[in-house]
Amino acid sequence: MDENKDDIVSFFSEGEKTHQHVTANQDIAERKRAEELIIANKELVFQNEEKKKRASELIIANIELAFQNEEKEKRASELVIANIELAFQNEEKEKRASELIIADIELAFQSEEKEKRALELIIANKELIFQNREKEQRASELIVANKELAFQNEEKERRASELIIINQELVFQNQEKEKCAAELKIANKELAYQNEEKEKRASELIIANKELVFQNEEKEKRARELAFQNEEKEKRASELITANKELAFQNEEKEKRAAELMIANKELIFQNKEKEKRAAELIIANRELKKAENDIRKLNAEDIRKLNDELEQKVFERTAQLESANQELESFSYSVSHDLRSPLRAVSGFAILLGERYDGLFDNESKRLLNIIQENANKMGLLIDDLLAFSRLGRKEIHKSKIDMAALAENAFKELSTPIKFKAEVKIGDLHHVLADTTLMHQVWLNLLSNALKYSFKKKKPVIIISSEEKNGELIYSIADNGVGFDMRYAHKLFGVFQRLHDADDFEGTGVGLALVHRIITKQGGKIWAKAKVAKGATFYFSLPQKN
Amino acid sequence: MDNIEVDILLIEDNANDAELAIMALQKNNVAKHIIHLKNGAAALDFLFGQGSYKGRNINNKPKVILLDLKMPKVSGLEVLEKLTSNELTQKIPVVVLTSSKEHPDVEKAYALGANSYIVKPVDFESFRKVVNDLGIYWLLVNQPLL
Repeated sequence: MDENKDDIVSFFSEGEKTHQHVTANQDIAERKRAEELIIANKELVFQNEEKKKRASELIIANIELAFQNEEKEKRASELVIANIELAFQNEEKEKRASELIIADIELAFQSEEKEKRALELIIANKELIFQNREKEQRASELIVANKELAFQNEEKERRASELIIINQELVFQNQEKEKCAAELKIANKELAYQNEEKEKRASELIIANKELVFQNEEKEKRARELAFQNEEKEKRASELITANKELAFQNEEKEKRAAELMIANKELIFQNKEKEKRAAELIIANRELKKAENDIRKLNAEDIRKLNDELEQKVFERTAQLESANQELESFSYSVSHDLRSPLRAVSGFAILLGERYDGLFDNESKRLLNIIQENANKMGLLIDDLLAFSRLGRKEIHKSKIDMAALAENAFKELSTPIKFKAEVKIGDLHHVLADTTLMHQVWLNLLSNALKYSFKKKKPVIIISSEEKNGELIYSIADNGVGFDMRYAHKLFGVFQRLHDADDFEGTGVGLALVHRIITKQGGKIWAKAKVAKGATFYFSLPQKN
Repeated sequence: MDNIEVDILLIEDNANDAELAIMALQKNNVAKHIIHLKNGAAALDFLFGQGSYKGRNINNKPKVILLDLKMPKVSGLEVLEKLTSNELTQKIPVVVLTSSKEHPDVEKAYALGANSYIVKPVDFESFRKVVNDLGIYWLLVNQPLL
């Protein structure tokens, strides 16, 4: 600006010089030159104004620049901070980069491993694909088999539901029959009691009659004796009269005596008369007694006949009831044996057929399951057989004969040891003979011996001892083993049907054997009991009456 | 059916038992022609050529009859009575094949002229053997009436 001012001043001074130089010669040129200067001046003024504008603009621009500079300084300081941060970040990144390098190396290793594994998997996949195809084929076969099985199952379910209904009916009928049987038992006991009472009464009456007859006979004898005495006395009286007369005649002194004797005679006569009276009374009494006795006889006979008739009628009725109950029981056993066996045979049979026909389709587990079905069906068959044997026993009549018990036990043992080889030592003592049913007692020995063998089987040296003794008119037989024994707390359950004191896994059995033995023994008037200790063996005792 | 020789006539109402019996009889080709009828009434119709078997050649008799006792309509014992009381059929051997071993049945069956009485064992293996054996006996061992 200052520079511009100087320029303007210098211009003016130069113009004055020019003016002085040309005033004389060249007015016109000078005017022109003046005009040109004016214009130039105006232009200069304009230019100055422009320059002033421009200067103010520059000032503003300067202020702005200063502001911008400040801003830039601020920004520069910020950049410095940012740079420091960047430097820090760079360091971090370098660290991370080195870590990444390590990770890369590891990844590369893993990749190799994975490739290896992938190759293996490809091989395995091929194998699986092959197996899958096999399985699909197998599956389609199984589907066919399944459909068949499903159809059979439906059939069986239908049959099973029918059987369930039949079973329920059977159970209901059983309950009814049991009720009926129990009532009949009570009625029978009552009848038996009444019969006994009547028999007692009848035998008492017979004894009373016999006594009456005896008394009558005694009285008749007595009457006869009295009559005889009377006769004797009459004879004696006449003898005395004769004697008196003789005496009176022979001895006056004896008259006194004779008179006395007369008195005595009179007395005797009186006594005789009295006795005659009494004899007559006795005769009457005898007649009355006889009559009374006859009456009693008649009366008793009528009463007894009436009672007997009534009793017979009752017995007849009860017998008819019992017979019909027995028939019902028989038809029930028949149903049990027939109706339960058929479905069981079907279960066992078709399980075997399934195993045989589709042998290739079943694995070991399926075969095991089929086997379980079959085994249980067979077991149930045994149960039904045992139960029927048990119920048949209730109806069997007993035929008693003299039995050599040692021989019978020996027989039973031989029968048992034929199918199964027992290592047990069996000692059969010199047993008492007994009066009992041979078939039934054979069954008793069979069951008790097989139990003893069964429960001592696991011992190293099983020993079974059979002996007998006589006690209070009874014969007591015992069979002792050294087997597993049992807990005496459960002894009361020993002889119940289907009661077992051992696990089915440990020892086989249906739980009917001892119930059967119990029934046989009590039916023949005997008793059965047992003593045992766990792991120390068991002894079973049964008694039978020595005399029938 | 008229001209085919009948080996065995099986009279059995229980379809399962019948199937098992037929299977056992066909084992080892013991019996080729088995006719199975489901009740006593049908059996009598078949043997006497009546009812739905009217016109059948009744001289074509089975070699042996296997007879179940407990059947609907006409029981096995009734069938047995009819068979043994008729000249046409009384010479056909009858084997009673039943689940029941109750004494009255056994007695009645023999009294009515059954040739054999067999209690079907519950266990299938035994059942198969028993039935197969009886097929062998009556069809191969036994000399029939000519």
